[in-house]
Order: sequence, then structure tokens, then C-alpha cells
Amino acid sequence: MSSPEPRARAVARLIAGTPAVVSLVGALLLTTLVMLAVGVDPGLAYPALLRGAFMDGNLEYTLAAYVPTLGMAVAFAIPFRAGEFNLGGDGQLALGGITAAALALSTGGAGSFVLPLIGAALAGALLAALSAPLHTRLGIPAIVSTLLLSVPAVSLASYLARFPLAEQGTGLAQTPLLPLAAHLPSLGASTYVTIGLPLVAVLTVLWLLADARTVPGYEIRALGANREFARYGGVRVSRLTALTLAAGGAFGGLVGGLIVLGAPYRFVDGALTAPGYTFTAIAAVLLAAGRPLAVPVTVALLTILQAGGQGMEREAGVPSQLTQIVQGLIIVIVAVAAVAKARPSRRPA
Amino acid sequence: MTTFLAAVLTATAPVVLAALGGLLCSVSGVFNMALEGQLLWGAFTAVLFSHLTGSAWLGVAGAVLCTTLYALLLSVPAVTFRADPVVVAVGTNLLALGLTAFLMRQIFGSGGTFSSPELAGLPTLAALGLDAPVAGSQSPLVPVAFLLVAAAAWWLGHARSGLRLRGIGQHAEAAESIGLRVPLYRHAAVLGAGALCGLGGAQLALGNVTLFSEGMSAGRGWVAVVAVMLAGSRPWLGLAACLLFGAAEALGFRLQGLGLPQQAADAAPYLITLLALVVVAAARRKEAPV
Amino acid sequence: MSVPAVELVGITKRFGDVTANDGVDLAVERGEVHAVVGENGAGKSTLMSILYGLHPPDAGHVLRAGTRLRLRSPADAIAHGLGMVHQRFRLFPGLSVAENVVLGAEPMRRGVLDRAAARRSVADLAERYGLDVDPGARIGDLPVGTRQRVEILKALYRRAEVLILDEPTAVLTPGEAAGLFRMVRELAAEGVSVLLVTHKLDEVLAAGDRVTVLRGGRVTGRFPTAGTSADDLVRAMIGRSLATAPTTAKKPPATTGALPTAKKPPATTGVPPTAKKPPAIAGGAPYRLEVRDLRVRDRDGVAAVGGVSFSVRPGEIVGIAGVAGSGQRELVDVMTGLRRAHSGTVLLDGRPVGGARDRRVAYVPGDRAGRATAPDMSLADNLLMGDQRGFLLGPGRVRGRAAALVERFSIRAASVRAPIAQLSGGNAQKAVLARELSRDTPVLVVEEPTQGVDVGAQEQIHALLAAARDAGRAVLLQSSELSELRALADRVLVMFEGRLTADLPVAEATDERLGAAMTGATGVRRPAGESTE
Repeated sequence: MSSPEPRARAVARLIAGTPAVVSLVGALLLTTLVMLAVGVDPGLAYPALLRGAFMDGNLEYTLAAYVPTLGMAVAFAIPFRAGEFNLGGDGQLALGGITAAALALSTGGAGSFVLPLIGAALAGALLAALSAPLHTRLGIPAIVSTLLLSVPAVSLASYLARFPLAEQGTGLAQTPLLPLAAHLPSLGASTYVTIGLPLVAVLTVLWLLADARTVPGYEIRALGANREFARYGGVRVSRLTALTLAAGGAFGGLVGGLIVLGAPYRFVDGALTAPGYTFTAIAAVLLAAGRPLAVPVTVALLTILQAGGQGMEREAGVPSQLTQIVQGLIIVIVAVAAVAKARPSRRPA
Repeated sequence: MTTFLAAVLTATAPVVLAALGGLLCSVSGVFNMALEGQLLWGAFTAVLFSHLTGSAWLGVAGAVLCTTLYALLLSVPAVTFRADPVVVAVGTNLLALGLTAFLMRQIFGSGGTFSSPELAGLPTLAALGLDAPVAGSQSPLVPVAFLLVAAAAWWLGHARSGLRLRGIGQHAEAAESIGLRVPLYRHAAVLGAGALCGLGGAQLALGNVTLFSEGMSAGRGWVAVVAVMLAGSRPWLGLAACLLFGAAEALGFRLQGLGLPQQAADAAPYLITLLALVVVAAARRKEAPV
Repeated sequence: MSVPAVELVGITKRFGDVTANDGVDLAVERGEVHAVVGENGAGKSTLMSILYGLHPPDAGHVLRAGTRLRLRSPADAIAHGLGMVHQRFRLFPGLSVAENVVLGAEPMRRGVLDRAAARRSVADLAERYGLDVDPGARIGDLPVGTRQRVEILKALYRRAEVLILDEPTAVLTPGEAAGLFRMVRELAAEGVSVLLVTHKLDEVLAAGDRVTVLRGGRVTGRFPTAGTSADDLVRAMIGRSLATAPTTAKKPPATTGALPTAKKPPATTGVPPTAKKPPAIAGGAPYRLEVRDLRVRDRDGVAAVGGVSFSVRPGEIVGIAGVAGSGQRELVDVMTGLRRAHSGTVLLDGRPVGGARDRRVAYVPGDRAGRATAPDMSLADNLLMGDQRGFLLGPGRVRGRAAALVERFSIRAASVRAPIAQLSGGNAQKAVLARELSRDTPVLVVEEPTQGVDVGAQEQIHALLAAARDAGRAVLLQSSELSELRALADRVLVMFEGRLTADLPVAEATDERLGAAMTGATGVRRPAGESTE
């Protein structure tokens, strides 16, 4: 209990940190190999990546991309803590976005952005919560049902944006410009960084506090660690599963609302899902390797990579899909590093 | 009606191939959710090799080879290192999406869709002299897909290695204790699934159409995962699930021609797949009340 | 004697800092039944795993009929005539008996599995050794005793000349155990060498020819069974003599009543001092727990519990005996509120138990890693479960509470923040008990409290259970160790196929009567309300 403990703890933390470090280094190494294999000079590509993320006014875009990615990370992380995979982020985003657009349009100039955002979160929550009874009552894993529900949700949003809610006379797959009152206020002089940033930041902090310091947070962790243990301990498993999925879906829907209520202030079909926030966020959460406090940091890392990828494409002619490759590799390496870390502690009985 | 049936078979074949691979893995005790990415990779490599060699059959061979190799990305982490196959699959699916889009731009110089007159597609059975009402318009890989289901059903029941694979999936420790090398069988199952996905991807890109477009697997790998969940270890049941999906896709396509929005046609296969899953799960629940 | 059938020479095996085997020598003659005894963690299982090729030794080697073997896998061991029946059966539940037996050495005809030949040879083998098994039955449908016969058939089919039996009687009734040992003697007479791993000394003395005792990974004694007493073995096993020995070390030797040479139990057994005190409150007090005509159906719709009624008074420990899978688990699930009964009621102080986990019932599950703990969560988080209330939860408070329990129940743990999986079996079990006893509940339900627990912790756990009883709790104790039930319980109920087949005061709970009830012989005393399905 005295002096050796802090040191032991520090060492433990160091070891716990390794999978993330190993994964990142491993993924960068493999990426460099990919670059070399296709004839790209890493000496040009990496500086271009950094410039693309930070320089020439790009920091604003990077910051703007950080908000939805962080939100989607929490959308994945909340159910993940309870042992459920929410792969339906795209559907939750799209449904939240179109709901926000519909509400903003229908309330006209009188409304503010508050109601559309609440509606967006509710829409995402409802969609994700559908997967809960499918798991707890029918044994269909959430990883499958969230994904299967996601595509129809994206299709529905796309249909609404193209037909009932479409801007008349343009032939574009988008809604009309939303009324000014519903536009999210910008932060400072920026066009793209809005009050969505502090909003998502505050909600993320609330989640982190709930996870570490509340009874539901404890019960969710127990559920994820051992479902039967939680049931034995009196945790209402079905209700809590539904709650985590709904909470995750609410984050997804909210992010959809935030995107639509920011520039260019309309729902553009495909614009929410095209940047791949959902899977960047999943990679970030997996990279955080079970430590929620690390999530904002891993999200920042991958957002920089993602945003920098655009710069790399412009300057060095490297397709920005390279960042997707890196994310995929990170996830695979994280999965291996996680067991490699766990293994020595287990010995045969 | 015959054109509809033909459309069903065409839509079903790639899913059947992927699902058969997933089923072999599931029988061996590995949950394979990497089918989606492998189908996509198979489609890309099929187009790549067909384009490079001018031969559709070399395209098929290239896809089978490359996708088997790609499956190592699942089999080595999941079988050798015992990493969580679900997490690994999420990674390899994402990787396939990025890698195909990236290589497409690097090699073909453009994104989106690649198609070229030099790209050789698979011949139809009719062109090979096997004309029959529904089958004539299909590529030779379609009957191959259905024959492989029959072969797998027989193999699991009657061959020594099939019995062993089933045993390994039911109780790996028991298999180890009688001297079976469990990882060997599991690697074989996962790599075999890779080969089947390569075949499925080739059918998708060189049989159903003759082009590659980004994300063209379009959820078929996930439908295959669901088919595996429905089938348990019975290949025929898996085939039935895939046919249901194929019918939904063909029907959606047809209804689209009658004025139904394209989005409904896109969503239909997923909703029908989910519905089938719900119905079967509910029936199983009723059979066995807790 | 001639060259030993199998010989282990100087076997040493370490796992991390733990030395499981330390220079162990062991020779088994042809046709000999050689017992290997020792406490939990003495290194018996590791030694057998090495012999069967599951782990490579760090030092030492194995000789088979004088020839040195390189055992890299069980396949090598099988090829050299070794066979093993694991404590936890290694069978494929969805395959048939014949498929299970031949798998790995399948008869083939023209490149195809020859199912007919497989069935035939399994039927022949079963008949030759008098084992009653249907080759076509699916393993998942068979009772535990039959599954063990399939395991033995598996080894015999592979022509095993050295047969390792790891705790073979753990899942058997006394009658079945007697049958097993008759067969073991028969095999030995045919020249098969049998290695019998067990912690039950009466079995050793009854069925073995020679005994090797392990303690802390080393050999601490070698005896011929003739002329050796249980006391000699205990001294070698625990390094103390019987008089001061704790409970399980000197199980009252009569657990397998059918064995001819079982000795009379020593007069005072290792029962905790409080155990035989007459119950403090039990006498005329009203029942605290009443179970009335309880019926539970399992997944296949078969009655797992078919009409069970009994009652427990405050200050009483009621034991439940029975072969594994007789409905005990389902009964306990209903009594703790974790499963719904099909019909019937469980009343606690007159109010029904049901729905979700009932907070009035403290419960120590038998499945430690699967239900009682979340192995990867910290000790503090594990100690909290069941006591989480309200909304806010300060990490300091959680750890403080855990530290207090660790202190009070003398749990040995490096830190309450470390995963509970790092604790030894005994300390993890004490942690579970600490958590459950710390809440002041009227009823305590305990399953297999000392399974996989070292001797020292067993003693403490028994004392804790006795103390809970003395504090006036109604205690239900399910155990497969008859000696444990006799040491602690006031009454023993026996379950068979979901029904109660006996309800005996502990003084009348002899091995013969319990054994008969465990195999379904009713009439010992038919509890009221019990009926046949």
C-alpha cells in the first residue's frame, strides 16, 4: 500500500500503453511499405500529410472533422463498454441528419437549432435501440443487426432528401438551405468550427465521468466484462443493453444533426457518410484499447491522419484512401497486440 | 419468369460462395466476419488480373490466389495469435475498402468505377455451347457455386477431414487431446473461405457485370454472414438463405423498373435478410423456451 | 520387476515463477494400477499433461518400455500407446458415440469414412469390456457416467497400454465409481497400466497397487498400498499428521461404500470445531425458506427440476447432494431469482423469490470465472457487485470498501486494483464469500464452496459457512464432496433426475444411503409433495 505501489502502477500503465503504441508504429511502418511498393516517396508524403492537417489554414478543417469523429467514437464506445458492437453509425448519422433537416425546415425561421438537434439524437437513439431486443430476446448479435439496419436507414434518408424534402427545381440530391435561425453559431471567425465542438466535448466529458464514477457506468463495464456476472449481480441486462445502444445511437444521430446544421447548412445526400467518420471512430476506440480516457487522443491522431490525407493527395498525388488502409491495419494490429499483452498473465491450470 | 429466375441465380451466386466459406469457418469454430472485405478484394483482383492478362479465367485464378493470401490477414491474427476474429474482421474489411480504392487510383488512374473494352468478362454458358432456359445467360461460376454447396455438404458428412473439422468446431480441446492439429484445420478453413470469396468476387466483377466499382461488394459479405448464422452447420440451409437474399435483390431490381425508388430496392435485401433472421431466431426461441 | 511400462525421469516444469513439477520421478509397471495423489496445486495434472504430450517439460524425459520418447503433442503420446481420460471430458457434444471414439483414427473405405465399421468396432469394444453404450447415441444426450465410458472406449480403441485417469470419480456416484474400479482392475489384469490421479485416499487404497504422493511439485512419498494407512498418505500430502489436519485432507474414508477395502474413518475428522454444535436457533423456529412443488423445464422442455419441496430453518445448513446434472443448478438458479420456475414457489420469510436476482439471498456460485466474478475486472470492482446503489460511485469509496473486506476476510491480494484473475483460487473464492457475507441476508446459497481451493483456504471457508449458520442464517449448501456435506450440513437432500430421492439427518447420511439415493433408489424418505413426472 506504500511506496512500491505507485511505481508498480506506473509500470502497469506503461505496459497498458504499449498496444496502442505498437499498433500505431506498426501501422505507420506498413503504410510506408505500401507507399514504397506503389512508388510514392514517403519523404514527400509525410510532410505533405502534416501540412495538410495543420498548415495553410487546414487546421480549421481538421478541427471541424475532429468533432464528428469524436462524437462517432463515443457512439461506438458506449455500447462497446457493454460488450456490444455498434457498426450502424452511418445509418444513425444519416437518420439524425435528415431528421434535423426536416425539423429545421418545418419550424421555419422561428425555430432554433435546439429542437432539430434533440430530434436528431432521438432518431439515432431509436434506430440503434432496435438492435437491443434483437440481441437480448432473440440472440442476434448487435454487430450484425446494427449493420443490417444501417443501410436501410441511409437509403431512407437518401430517399427523403431526393424526393419529399428535395430542393425543387435543382435536380440535386439535397434539401433546401435551412433557415438561418437553425444554423449553428460559429466559433470566432471560423465557418466550419461551430459550437458543436464545445457541445461534443462537454458530452464526451460527461460520458467519461459516467463511465468511471457512476453506478450505471460500473454496471455497463461489468456487463461488458462478463454478462453472466452482471446478471448474477442483479444488473438488468436487457434494459442496460438497450440503454447503451440508445445512448450510442443518440451520439450518432446528434453528430448527423451537427453536420447538417453546420456549413453548407443543408442535408446533402452522401455527404455525411462519405468522409467515413464511423470507421475512423471505430479504429480510434479500438486503438484506445479499453481505456476511455485515451479516446479523445486517439481520435485526434486519426483525424489528423484523415485530414492530412487530403493534403497528401493534393501535394504528393497519393490517394487519400491511404488513410483508410492505415486505419484498417491499426485495427488488425491492435487486436493482436491486445492478446499478446494479455497472454503472459494466463497460465494453464 | 425465366429472366427473373436467371436474375435470382446471378444475384445469389457471389453470396453463396462467400457464405459457404463463412460456413466452413463457423464449422471449424472461427467466426468469420471478414467476408465483405474479401469479396471486394476478390472483385478488384479479378478485374486487375483480367485487365493485365486479357483473360477472364486468369482473372478468376488471380482473384482466388490473391484473396486466399488476403485471408492470411484474418487467419494469422485470429488462429495463430488468437486475436478476437470480430475485431480483426472489422479491420480487414476497412482495409479492403481503402486498399481497393487506393490501388484503383494508382493502377487505373481513376476512382469510382473502372471498366474498359480490354477487360475480359466471363463467357455465358450459352456462349460455351450449354444453352438452357435459365442457365444459358449465367457464367460458368454460377453452377460451380451451387455444385460446391453440394460438395461441401457431402464432405462435412462423409470425409474424414470433414468429420474432424466438425469435431474441432465443437470442442477444440477435445480435438487437441486426440492429436489433431487444431490450428492447421482452422487456417485451412479461413484460407478456404478466402479462396471462395475470391471466386465470389470474380463472379461479381466478371460474371454479373464486367467492371469494378468502389465498394461494389455492397453488403453481400454481411448477408453471407447472416446466412451462416441462419444455417448453423447445414450448407443447404445456408443456400436457402442466400436464395432468399438473391430473390429480394432481383425483385427489388425489377420493382425499380416499375417505378419504385432505387433506395427501396437498395434497402430491400437488408430488411428481408434481417426479417429472415428474426423469424428463424424467434422460431428457435419458441422451440426451446428457457 | 521388468522394464517399467512407462517412466518419468526428473521432470521439471515451470509456469512463470511457479514451479509446478520439480524433478519428479515416477515409474509404472505393466499391469499396475498406480495412484498419484496430492492436494490441489500439487502438480498432479501438470505431470500427467507432460506425460500426455500437452506440455513439454523444462527438464527430464519420458521412457516408454525403456525407450526415450519425444512427446511434442498428444498425437505422439497416442502413437506410443498412451491414453488419457481428462477430468473435464473431451468429447464432441454434437457427434455420435461412434464418431467420438474413432475421430482421429477413423476406419476408411475407398477414401471415405466407413461409418458401419466404426459402429461395429465400438460396439465390439463396449461388449468386450462390459460397457453399456449405444454407438449411435449423440454425446450431448448422454448422462455423465456414460460419457466417461465413451472416454475410456476412446483410449481403448486406440489400443492404449497406459491409461491415465484424471480424477475419474469426481462425476460419479459411489456405485458407478465401484463399477469403474472393477473395470480398472480388469484392464490391469490384461496388462494395461493405469495411472489414477485423485485426491480421494480411500480410492487409492482400495484400487491402487502403489501410490506416489506429490506436494508442491515434488515427490514426498512412495508407498505400496498394502500396509499403508490413510494417515501415512496424508502426512506425505500436507506435511502434517492427521490429528491436526484440516477437513478435506482426511475425508472420512467411506465415500465409495462399495469398495471392499475401504477403511473405517478415523474417529475425529477435520471438521471445524463449530460444525457439530447443535444448531443455535433451528429447533422450533419457523421456516425461513420454503420450496413448494418446484418445477423447472430446461431448454429441451425436459423437466430439470420435477416437483421439489423442502424447507430450511434459520440457523440450519441443508446440504444438497447428487450426481452432476441432477437438477441442482436449476434449483439454485430459481432460489436465487436468476431463473423462472415453470410452476411452484420459493418463499423467503413468506414472500416469494423471483424475477431478477433477489437481494435477500446471498449466493456463492460454483462457476467462479463464469458467474461469480468478472476475471478481468479489478478485485475492488468484483467486491462491489450486488452492492451498487444510487447513482454516484466514488472510486475512493469503492476501493476503501474493498480494502476493508480484504482485511476482514484476510484475502491475500497484491492490490485491490489488480484483476481478480491474478488471485489464487482460494483467495478468489474468499473474495466471493466476503462479498456475499458482507450483506446481511437471511439466506445464503452456496455451490461447491471449496472446488479448486487449497487446503488452508478450505478450512477458513468451512469456518465462515459455520459462522453464517451460527448467526442464524438459513444456508443451502450444494456440494459434490460428500465429506464436505457431512462435515457442515444438518440435513442432506439428494437429487436425482430433478427429484428429491432422500432427506436425511446428517447422522443417517451414510455413503450407502446417499449413494443409493444418488442413483434414484427412493424410499429413504419421500418428502411430502414430491411426485413422479
